[in-house]
Amino acid sequence: MGISIEKLKPKRVRKNIELTLWERLYIFEIIRGMHITSMHFFINLIGFVLPPKGKKRRIMTVYYPEEKLTLPIAYRGRPVLVARENGSEKCVACGLCEKICPASAISIVAEERENGERYPSSYTLDMSRCVYCGYCEEVCPKEAIVMSAEYEGLAKRNRNNLRFSKEKLLRSEKSVKDRIEYIRGIYAKCNY
Amino acid sequence: MVADLIESVVKILFIFSVNIGFFSPILGWVERKQSALMQDRVGANRADICGFTLIGLFHPIADAIKVLTKEDFVPTGADRLFHTLAPFISLTPAIIAFAVIPFGGQYELFGHRVNLIIADLDVGILFIFAFASLASFGAVLGGWASNNNWSFLGGLRASAQMLSYEVVMGLNIIGVIMVYGTLRLSEIGAMQVNFFNWGIFLQPVGFVLFFTCAIAENKRAPFDVAEAESELVAGYFTEYSGMKFVMFWMGEFLEIVTIAGLVTTMFFGAWHLPFVSDRMLVDFFGFAGPNGASILAILVNVATFFAKVIFFIWLQMTIRWTLPRFRYDQVMRLGWKMFLPIALINIFITGLVLLAK
Repeated sequence: MGISIEKLKPKRVRKNIELTLWERLYIFEIIRGMHITSMHFFINLIGFVLPPKGKKRRIMTVYYPEEKLTLPIAYRGRPVLVARENGSEKCVACGLCEKICPASAISIVAEERENGERYPSSYTLDMSRCVYCGYCEEVCPKEAIVMSAEYEGLAKRNRNNLRFSKEKLLRSEKSVKDRIEYIRGIYAKCNY
Repeated sequence: MVADLIESVVKILFIFSVNIGFFSPILGWVERKQSALMQDRVGANRADICGFTLIGLFHPIADAIKVLTKEDFVPTGADRLFHTLAPFISLTPAIIAFAVIPFGGQYELFGHRVNLIIADLDVGILFIFAFASLASFGAVLGGWASNNNWSFLGGLRASAQMLSYEVVMGLNIIGVIMVYGTLRLSEIGAMQVNFFNWGIFLQPVGFVLFFTCAIAENKRAPFDVAEAESELVAGYFTEYSGMKFVMFWMGEFLEIVTIAGLVTTMFFGAWHLPFVSDRMLVDFFGFAGPNGASILAILVNVATFFAKVIFFIWLQMTIRWTLPRFRYDQVMRLGWKMFLPIALINIFITGLVLLAK
């Protein structure tokens, strides 16, 4: 029964890479390599001076801030709170995101409205602590916090300005609709 | 007498302005842009003056301003004199070695024989090697004088590498000297009037070996174990900032230009266009009168020389950004166990061929 002791010991695999004589005379391989890179050089040089019409640009650089990349839907940017049509947040201050955040970036103070609903009277997300892991989005039972595609506007001159309050975090549901659809697809098994 | 003085001053000013004023900043720009184009990206192009970015040509000026406003310090426990002296020792031989490289032939100008070389020494090649050997002191001193283990290691590696490749370079050049029969660089250049007398045809192995050894001497990739950008922080110039760092850096670039100039002079016909001799050029421009013809011939030859120098600079940059770095023991093995025997065999075969003639 079980696996024999010979199969459990790791076998050392030795690959013998034999270089041909042509390859050991370095110089020809060097010339071949330099041919490849100088082809890149000349094609890009001519592409600068006379850019090819219609064809895709070969140089990969994105001229930020004039051009920006279109990010895929799975991109985890800044966390934002989702607002209903009447402007109030969907969040019910259950505290799950506060507990699961690995960087302890979220602080919630819960209050009760007149009609009995629970809501966060103060919701502070400290952006200097947030690591953009997405756990808060994954654990939220109300789809009230999602990772948007925003990555700008996070350079402040004062550390206190990075503690974003509820008002700064709210976004309308329409603007993050795609993200909510996406997380429904991947997290729905766990949440509902 | 006065004419000689004016001629010398003009030549010195010309070489200084071309080398330090033009090639140094431009090579910084070329390195960024050429590496960028070879890697399918745009280089640095954001430094602008009043909204004009001139494809990044203002970046060297921005570099200069940054370097001049940086704090200049000597690390604690370091030897003050040597720490300050090392960049100078590294930079000066690179500039001086250009004094014996001819950038044109001999012309009659205003009844006076003008020789387009600053110092026509009859030990031209030996002078260059003497000064290249001095440049290795800069690396050693820089590594020792910073009170830093890793700079010390970088300096050790640099000194061993430079020493071994100097030996091999000297042995390579003996083949060239045997073929041309003179040490004077202006004569070697003049003898390459005939296209089939160019050094590349007479000494092909010598060219490949000399070029490689010169790149190794300059501590440039693929032989940059001494600075080893991702291994030893910055090698022997870790503890340098501001102007001293730029002096090391400029010394490296100027030596690129010197190597390109040397290779052009000895192997690629110095200032000659392939099948055109000086006499033909002066006759061709005869319509402008004797002085005008000389001036136009001078311009054509100097432009040819610098075009070839630019080609070799481009080649060295391409080699830098194509090849991976050698390991240190591979560098040493290459120098002593592979290049030295090939150089000796080269001398032997050259001697046999010359005897057979």
